Amino acid sequence: MSVASSEIDVKTRVKALELIRSHFKKLIEEVEKSHKLQLVFPKRTLLNTIYDQKAKMLLLGPDVQYRSFTDINEVKKFMQTLLMASIIYSSLRNNEYPTIRDLFYRGKHSISYTSIDGKKISENSWDEQRESDSVIRDLEVLLNILREDLLILSKEKGKVVGNLIIRSGNDVVDLSKMGHGAYAIEPTPDLIEFIDVDAEYVLVVEKDAVFQQLHRYGFWKKNKAILVTSAGQPDRATRRFVRRLSEEFKLPVYVLCDSDPYGFYIYSVFKVGSITLSYESERLSTSTAKFIGVTLTDIFGTEIFREVLKKPGVKEALEEVAKGISKLKSKQPYLSPDERKNFVIKAKLRDVERAVELVGYRVAEACLESSDYKSKIRKKEGVSGYPWFLSPEWVRELCIFFYTTSKLEIEAITGKGLKFLADIYIPRKIESGDWIE
Amino acid sequence: MYVGVVLMTAIIEEKYASISPAEFFYKYREVAGFSNPVKAFYQAIKELVDNALDATDMHGILPDVKISIERADEVQEFYKITVEDNGIGIPPDIVPYAFGKVLFSSKYSMKQSRGMYGLGVKMVVLYAQMTTGRPVEVTTSRENYRMIYYFKLRIDVNKNEPVIIERGAWRKTRDWHGTVVSVTIEGDWNRAKQRILEYLHRTSIITPYANMTLITPENEIVYYPRVTTAIPRPPRETKPHPQGIDLEMLKILLNNNGDKTLEEFLASSFQSIGPSTARILINTAGINPSKKPQELTEEEVQRLFNTIKNYDKYRPPLASSLSPLGRDVLESGLKRVFEPEFLYVVSRSPRSYEGHPFIVEAGVSYGGKTPMSPQDQPFILRYANRVPLIYDESTDVITQVVREDINWDHYMISFPTQLTILVHLCSTKIPFRGVGKESIADVPEIRREIRLAIMEAARELKRYLARKAREKETMRRVETIAKYIPEIARSLSVILGDESSRSSVEKALTNKLVTLLSRRSGIPFNIVDSIVKSVEIGV
Repeated sequence: MSVASSEIDVKTRVKALELIRSHFKKLIEEVEKSHKLQLVFPKRTLLNTIYDQKAKMLLLGPDVQYRSFTDINEVKKFMQTLLMASIIYSSLRNNEYPTIRDLFYRGKHSISYTSIDGKKISENSWDEQRESDSVIRDLEVLLNILREDLLILSKEKGKVVGNLIIRSGNDVVDLSKMGHGAYAIEPTPDLIEFIDVDAEYVLVVEKDAVFQQLHRYGFWKKNKAILVTSAGQPDRATRRFVRRLSEEFKLPVYVLCDSDPYGFYIYSVFKVGSITLSYESERLSTSTAKFIGVTLTDIFGTEIFREVLKKPGVKEALEEVAKGISKLKSKQPYLSPDERKNFVIKAKLRDVERAVELVGYRVAEACLESSDYKSKIRKKEGVSGYPWFLSPEWVRELCIFFYTTSKLEIEAITGKGLKFLADIYIPRKIESGDWIE
Repeated sequence: MYVGVVLMTAIIEEKYASISPAEFFYKYREVAGFSNPVKAFYQAIKELVDNALDATDMHGILPDVKISIERADEVQEFYKITVEDNGIGIPPDIVPYAFGKVLFSSKYSMKQSRGMYGLGVKMVVLYAQMTTGRPVEVTTSRENYRMIYYFKLRIDVNKNEPVIIERGAWRKTRDWHGTVVSVTIEGDWNRAKQRILEYLHRTSIITPYANMTLITPENEIVYYPRVTTAIPRPPRETKPHPQGIDLEMLKILLNNNGDKTLEEFLASSFQSIGPSTARILINTAGINPSKKPQELTEEEVQRLFNTIKNYDKYRPPLASSLSPLGRDVLESGLKRVFEPEFLYVVSRSPRSYEGHPFIVEAGVSYGGKTPMSPQDQPFILRYANRVPLIYDESTDVITQVVREDINWDHYMISFPTQLTILVHLCSTKIPFRGVGKESIADVPEIRREIRLAIMEAARELKRYLARKAREKETMRRVETIAKYIPEIARSLSVILGDESSRSSVEKALTNKLVTLLSRRSGIPFNIVDSIVKSVEIGV
């Protein structure tokens, strides 16, 4: 192996090679016994994705998929899966770090044959990256290993700064000495060794711009925080990194997002996992993550919710969470009516539709004031919402959202002053425990 | 041989009877098919070849038939037609009458034959005489004869007598029997050629047991070799069935009776009538049983005829007078011509209509060299008493059954396709539509049998097509899987082998996968393997 490789990479390669080899060896031995050649792994479908109430995360259900060599509907995928396995295996042996796009190109080639009626027929092993990406995910489930551990890289997106010293590869990096920049979270966060941590909590910021502002302002030094950004939808590495901080140092994790359904969903991806990658939740989700803001009650206060409840049909729609709602605390808004006027923007139809997916059609239908949106969301009738959003706190937030059809981007809060955000809003919310779980 | 009773009104003597042939010829020239130089050419060949075949296979002899057509005049369109067979031959004392006098057999026996021997050939002789003036030449010998006889003769049209121009006889030097007939006619060869070739081709389909050779005026040789020695059982002569006679025939029979009583006459002249049935018929008709048949009054004859026709307790007519081709002959005939991918032949049991026994046979030929059918129906080959019917296809009951009674969709057939339907009807009396004798009339009993025969064959065809479709589907599935075997084996060998063992591991894995697929699909190892070997993996 190459001298340039870090020790940890070498170990990871050896382990992965052995895993792949022993798995397929067993597969071939099985042919002798059962005269069957098939891959068996959990189904990666929406129907087989379940929300585990106890663990508070999205997991793969019990359904199993049989991908058989002798099934004409499955054989192409069977071939693709094995082709991908062989490419990954070769890459591991050759000390390479392919990206999923590399793997797509390496495996793309023509397969031609002469059919019974004498025609020459040609097709490609795969045509689109969608296909090769899909079999990579299948291999992750089949081998029960994450692609990061197969040394498959992806674009780095997440960043981190704070009082944290790590070993990455053969180097020791002090994340408090990154200057104006930040440490880019590597695609293989499991290969990072944490050497020293001096922090009280982790603050995850959705927006990169807000992350930079807080960094320069010295927020993390002042508050003994580790500051992380996912720069939009979090990638797997950022999620795994946050999870490790939470798990290994028992640090509380707070998430700061836009006050709109997309922001809410990004938080939920950190907390319970995503639907498309539910098989990774066990290793990626941080079930203790707290949504610190921005909430709609931060903007409007809780008084407005009383108005919503007076609307005909709302109480009936909220039946299931009625008990919890009555026990919710009331609070004052962080913004004055004038500030609201300046910072709040009108929610678009796609925001409303996304919100319907979170809490269901009934709540939306009852709380919406705008008859225009009401008629446009009718096609979503029957959508029941995600179980982890059907808590009294979230329902109250979304009721206010439907009622006011308003949203707010965090940048707007900094418009009130970065000082307000860094020195008042965040610390006060943490101190007073004003978050949603 | 069964004689065209309707045409004959002038039977007098017990042996041979005649009318003026010239008169007959002019009257019936078109009926007999000699209306123009094209039709006449075709008709002449057909009469001579039908006779040659009747003289052979109807007597259990494997036919060797040689036809030669030569240009006989440099200026005029005269052609000499010579047809040679290895048949039973003709007794020398009969030859002048057989070729030189329109005559009829006196025997009222019934059996299937191609044509009315004795009538058609004389039409040819007369036509030759009218157009070229040249005489007919006949060379013949029978099996146990020591001599071969030769005649050159013409017909005295006015007297209806043969005129022998030349005769000869010589000792046989080899064991030959058969007949060679030569006539010279005026004809339009260029336009008749296609027709004649088609006639010969279609004849060959149902006579696979015959060697047939045609030498054309251009010296082309068309040869149909014998492919089987199976030959249909020759027909046996039987007495007429009472339901199959007409009034005219009854009168002739009554007059030819000799010295029997009416009861004896009935019991001995018909099948299915014995002494007791004869008595019942005579009583029912209210005729004095002691009367001699020839003494019956016109009115008594009519009563007897009605009684015979209305009685309904006869056994059905005997089929022994019929000579169906049989499945073997049909099969080898169709095989020889079409080399089909699928072939099925049906030979139905005998049935009868109006006292005439008949048998329907059918065959379907699919694929191989079977010609492409028209846009909306199969190609149809029609035969009546072993004679191909080429014209008037649309009015024929066989065509009607194929077009109207059979739902081809039901049998997984869509046109055009390589499908030919052959139907052969044999009977002591073919119910021809009109005088052309090219189209069979729509008789319900016959139509039903044709339908059942075609349906039986079509069912088998459907079964074959369904099996073929299933096999194709299985092959398609196997193909879908087999094409990925090289890629799968290669991928696994990358994981399971090392540098030195990789290619042997790949080979072993390929073998294992082919075996597994072959076992699961039932498709043989070597076929799966050949698909796998055809695979090329690109870069």
